[in-house]
Amino acid sequence: MESHPSYKALSEVLPKYPQSAGSCFQTFNDITLAQQWTDVEVIDLPVISRCAFRGRRPKMDPLLYVVPCSLAESLSVSWFNEAFEKLGKPDQVYLAINTPDSSIVYYKLTPGIVKPPV
Amino acid sequence: MVGRQGGHNKGGGRKNENNKIYAHPLPILFSEPPQTSLSHKLNAFLGINDTKVLNPHCHGVLDVATRSVWVTDPKDVRILWTRGFFGKGDLSRSEPSWHARQVNAMKAAAGNYLTSEEIREKRRNERKQFKLDRARALAEAAAEAEAAFVEGREAVLPEIPSGATWKPSAQSAAPEPGDDAPPSADADEVELLEEELLEDVEHMQLTLQEAFFLCWGLDCLTILDPHTSQSLSLQQIWVSLQQAFGIIPSLKPVYTISPEEERFDNPFLVNYAVYHHYRSLGWVVKSGIKFCVDLLLYKRGPVFHHAEFGVLVIPVYEDPADKLSSPYALANADPMSWTWLSTINRVNSQVQKTLVLAYVTIPSSSHVPHHTLSSPACLNHYSVREVVLRRFIPARMRD
Repeated sequence: MESHPSYKALSEVLPKYPQSAGSCFQTFNDITLAQQWTDVEVIDLPVISRCAFRGRRPKMDPLLYVVPCSLAESLSVSWFNEAFEKLGKPDQVYLAINTPDSSIVYYKLTPGIVKPPV
Repeated sequence: MVGRQGGHNKGGGRKNENNKIYAHPLPILFSEPPQTSLSHKLNAFLGINDTKVLNPHCHGVLDVATRSVWVTDPKDVRILWTRGFFGKGDLSRSEPSWHARQVNAMKAAAGNYLTSEEIREKRRNERKQFKLDRARALAEAAAEAEAAFVEGREAVLPEIPSGATWKPSAQSAAPEPGDDAPPSADADEVELLEEELLEDVEHMQLTLQEAFFLCWGLDCLTILDPHTSQSLSLQQIWVSLQQAFGIIPSLKPVYTISPEEERFDNPFLVNYAVYHHYRSLGWVVKSGIKFCVDLLLYKRGPVFHHAEFGVLVIPVYEDPADKLSSPYALANADPMSWTWLSTINRVNSQVQKTLVLAYVTIPSSSHVPHHTLSSPACLNHYSVREVVLRRFIPARMRD
């Protein structure tokens, strides 16, 4: 992992949070290389012991947030609340659930109920 | 709408090609000597089987943070994928194809045509627009009917678009790529350079269970330490795979394990028992996260047909005291609620998969001596039993 080109951008946060290092690394790779997001920034969130990411989807303007986690983890509502708080209370956050075979499943989370578009 | 364009690869042609590419179910091959040779006849007479085993001897690097083994050599990647569908490209949906797709996208942008992914996006956007138009027309029709009823006159209903008659409006169509400048010879050269400079940053990722099956079960994979590039012995691999789920997280492989940490309910052992069980029965086993289950079972492989079965791994402790003293919170170790089970069954029925509950019995630490954990021989003590779940609707299922 350390010899991968993406490691440089994450070299500060990955050793700090070894428990979530794998999911942070996998999510960063998927966002930047596979999904081709632009303007990706790494946000350090000590309150939930991991880093989060902020960037733009291709051909879309708004800044979107991604919080990585692994399938093995058990998360609570207060965990999400703290993440929302520290990220500056965005409208929505994507939760990236990582698996050991490198599949990532994204879920969109909002702080309250959202009506469907149509 | 974009019609399906048949090529020589569609239908029967592609099936035959797949049968050729994916002909071997496992990475190791058996070569039979010609039946007519004298030495073969002599061996057959003496009762000696002289079939040779051809071993591809693949290499992979252990990565503890992502709990996986990475394979980067293109030849090894192809062998492991085409012979048994082991692994997944970490930037792709199945086999590693990221570099090829990037190059294809660059060529398409320069050559002014759409890649198949872009065609798919266009089709989806058009369908979304059609649904919006239809919803709007339906709302208008409802409002018009209400107004007409209140005023006591006949309603003049607007036309509701149907899938067959709807056409995308001109201004909502996305601009074609490369509209502004036609490609020039210089652009071709620059693009070639870009393609060559584009480093392939993708690797094929094997789960620890897949890696251990290839390494111990088939002996066709050598696992290397990520920092020293030394090949690991079976003992080191056995310990480091268990320690990958250790309580103290680490970014480096750990090759020693204390007796308290060596337990029968280590998540690696529990999941490996199930993986090995189905692989040795001939199923292709892949991750099931997309369908809320642990494993998917394919009869031949993902390229042939969708998975028939989704397997949930349910660990059962032979001795409840082991569960109480366990530092690992194994998933599904507690009784499952009916709502949760129904949810998973529903998800799988929607995609025409049968749900299988695989109960793994974790041996009791008081009955089985602790030293068995020092080698894979302890797997003998785990048993896997399956319960197949299907929803029964008395009113509809009479036969």
